[in-house]
Amino acid sequence: MIKFELNGRPVEVDNPPDEMLLLVLRDTLKLKGTKYGCGAAMCGACTVHVDGVASFACQMSVSDVEDAQVTTIEGLSEDGSHPVQRAWIEEQVAQCGYCQSGQIMRAAALLADNPSPTRQEIVDEMSANLCRCGTYNRIFKAIERAAKEV
Amino acid sequence: MTITMNRRGFLQGAAGLTFFIGAGGISSVRSEAAVGTLDVNHWLTIRADGTVQIVHPSTEMGQSSYSTLPQILAEELDAAWNDVEIKQLNADDRRFGNKLFGGVLYTAGSTGTQFYFDPMRKAGAQARDVLLQIAAREWGVDKASLRTKPSVVLGPDGQQAAYGELAAFGSRDVTVPDAETVPLKDPSAFRIIGQDLPRRDVPAKSTGQAEYAIDVDVPNMAYAAVLRAPVEDEVPLSIDDASAREVPGVIDVVAVPDGVAVVAESLWSALGARGLLEVEWSTTSPFRTSNSEETLAEYAAAVSATEASGATWAEKGDAPAAIANADSQFSQVYLSDYAYHAQIEPMAAVADVDADGQGAEVWAGTQTQSWTARTVSEVLGIPVESVRLNMMTMGGGFGRRTALMQNYVRDAVLCSKAIGRPVKVIWPREDDVKQGTFRPAAAQKLEAGLTAEGKLDGWYHKVATPTVIGFFNPLRWDAVNPNDVISMRGAESKFYGIKDFRADHLIMDRHARLAPYRGIGASYTAFSAECFMDELAEQAGRDPLEFRLDLVSENPRGRHLLEKVAEMSDWQNRRNRNLGLSFAGYSSSMAAGVAEVEVDADSGEIQITNFWAAIDAGLIVTPDNALNQIEGGIVFGISMALSEKIDIENGEVVQSNFWDYEITRASQMPEIEIYVAEVDAPPVGVGEVGTPMVPAAIANAFYAAQGKRLRHMPFTPDRVAAALET
Repeated sequence: MIKFELNGRPVEVDNPPDEMLLLVLRDTLKLKGTKYGCGAAMCGACTVHVDGVASFACQMSVSDVEDAQVTTIEGLSEDGSHPVQRAWIEEQVAQCGYCQSGQIMRAAALLADNPSPTRQEIVDEMSANLCRCGTYNRIFKAIERAAKEV
Repeated sequence: MTITMNRRGFLQGAAGLTFFIGAGGISSVRSEAAVGTLDVNHWLTIRADGTVQIVHPSTEMGQSSYSTLPQILAEELDAAWNDVEIKQLNADDRRFGNKLFGGVLYTAGSTGTQFYFDPMRKAGAQARDVLLQIAAREWGVDKASLRTKPSVVLGPDGQQAAYGELAAFGSRDVTVPDAETVPLKDPSAFRIIGQDLPRRDVPAKSTGQAEYAIDVDVPNMAYAAVLRAPVEDEVPLSIDDASAREVPGVIDVVAVPDGVAVVAESLWSALGARGLLEVEWSTTSPFRTSNSEETLAEYAAAVSATEASGATWAEKGDAPAAIANADSQFSQVYLSDYAYHAQIEPMAAVADVDADGQGAEVWAGTQTQSWTARTVSEVLGIPVESVRLNMMTMGGGFGRRTALMQNYVRDAVLCSKAIGRPVKVIWPREDDVKQGTFRPAAAQKLEAGLTAEGKLDGWYHKVATPTVIGFFNPLRWDAVNPNDVISMRGAESKFYGIKDFRADHLIMDRHARLAPYRGIGASYTAFSAECFMDELAEQAGRDPLEFRLDLVSENPRGRHLLEKVAEMSDWQNRRNRNLGLSFAGYSSSMAAGVAEVEVDADSGEIQITNFWAAIDAGLIVTPDNALNQIEGGIVFGISMALSEKIDIENGEVVQSNFWDYEITRASQMPEIEIYVAEVDAPPVGVGEVGTPMVPAAIANAFYAAQGKRLRHMPFTPDRVAAALET
């Protein structure tokens, strides 16, 4: 059994230790907000926080997070009230929305680390995550809006 | 058409009103309780509790038709938007079909708002009229004395009744007005259309709650990973699955027409076991000899041949004669490579075939209810009516999910049938790329004449590329051959008034799987046409803007866009800023764009620093979403212009993931400024209008920067470097 903390609660799973964390989150623990996009650390759709650090869940095995704190989009807030989520809704960022959980998780980690990032710092950080709908400029604006509230 | 209701259909205190739509609009109205179980396929239901349920006939892939289309109906119904509940159309019910696609349920070509605007307005207006009739009857007043405010009918003497209350009164003595003559609102009275109501799907998409096909989880579900033939048309000759079957969790190994599926209790097991399959593939496919460089050379040779011609796509006057007789003649060849959709949700579907094989439930994100139902129907040999669809919101479409045969749905169905359980098929990214269906490679030759005064005198645009429709929808090709809008759109250059004009399609052999891609043909035809326009302007010794303005004298809306984007970019005072102009669009939506670029001559990288766009897409239903769509279209255009390229070697796709198929990232974003013209004209779509103008604007800006032409898209650093060395 592998134990870790997921969204503030202890969990135990008996998946193969080398199973991709992303699949354990999605298929075993049924948290579908974290997305599969590439499995190769290239798109960021699977971004979660591991001990507060934005991480690609497709690049970790479940045993990598033993005893760690994992936060997914479902745990960012109970009701979508995290400042980054509120800003995302206010700016009407999403189009297809598929990448947005990962974008939001990366943005939240950025603001937790750097509450008032410059535009360049935002661009640099968010360049890890792809959005095929092309919502990047709205993402930047939403992060700047959220930064004012944090 | 006016139908008086049968009194037997009325039941006092009925639960609500349901409006049924036929070809001419609402053809009957019934109280809900009176008819018992309702057919699911109706435009709207007004319930006694005041809820207005409106059908969304398209499918949602990010374009926001899920919100936009019901808003059109709600506007004419004069419903309070908060009372509206949206119901996804989950069946191949052709009463809701898109007539721009021959009545097929098909979400593509930026046609959703364009087509559904009228029928959904009329449906809403008819429903409002029926509510007024009920109020008039109940209050004993003249219908003409009634007004509405959101979801409420107001009487002449202060009476008020909510729509839900009126629905509960029932439809006795109600006459449904003719859809063709029912009065519609004057646009000045719109209070939903043209406003910025928040999208319905954005909160769920900001909290991880939106459910895509890849997220579907049904009881007892298994997972399948399919090892697919490396080359089109090859089939498994022998399969050694002994090792794969030993992997814990593996349930079965199932042969599918072009691959081998491993079905397991988890995706992890399925993927692991798939890697242990030993498959001997056939080696007889003609696609084994397909190499993208040779393909493009073949197309280029065809289009460059003297007297080359093809199926006429558009013609006016006599272009060849005009060019031959002009004071001077010019021609140029442009190339573009295969491109991949790169939607971030890879192909995924869940199927649950009934135990008797006579029905199935399917969860999929596709751009067509019709062809998804047809796929399942064909695979199982069952009627379309026995297919229970769940159309999931898509993690991007861009044309990828449009084919007549949805092969990932097919594989889920076959696996479910084989093991007697629901099965989810997911294509890992590598499968999604290598089994991709691509925008075709194309070679184009532009020929034109100029007068001694430097004006355009004849235009001949030849496009050498295969038919896309012939591959992804052979049924449609039978009907439209040789006119392939997917391959050719944009080559008609219809926003310019060119007296002697011709565009031909040289229908080439196909050497790869093909599909529509955002902007379809216009994504490359506008590239070549608008680059050539700049080259001609230079030959004529004229400013690119002024040269184009000659050609829009009969298109004042287009002229306005060119002037507007010139003003936004301060075109006339560009001095040492590297600006490039382009004027294109999509279907009937027009776009003028100016790109500003910086070029790193050492690395060959182009950075777009600014992009200004002026758009005319007719009436805009949802302005803020329109801006988001147009901006997204521009970003897509930048991406395809700079980096998107699929290579094929010996029939196999070379690229496999986002590390070797790069799409635009945050760091490559320019500042984008968009102007949308306010015009009194029907809506014609915003989903693709932003894309086609972009590559030429960048290439023309590159010329301003470096004095070199880029005639092969994408403008990868190696090509830029090569251009700089010429």
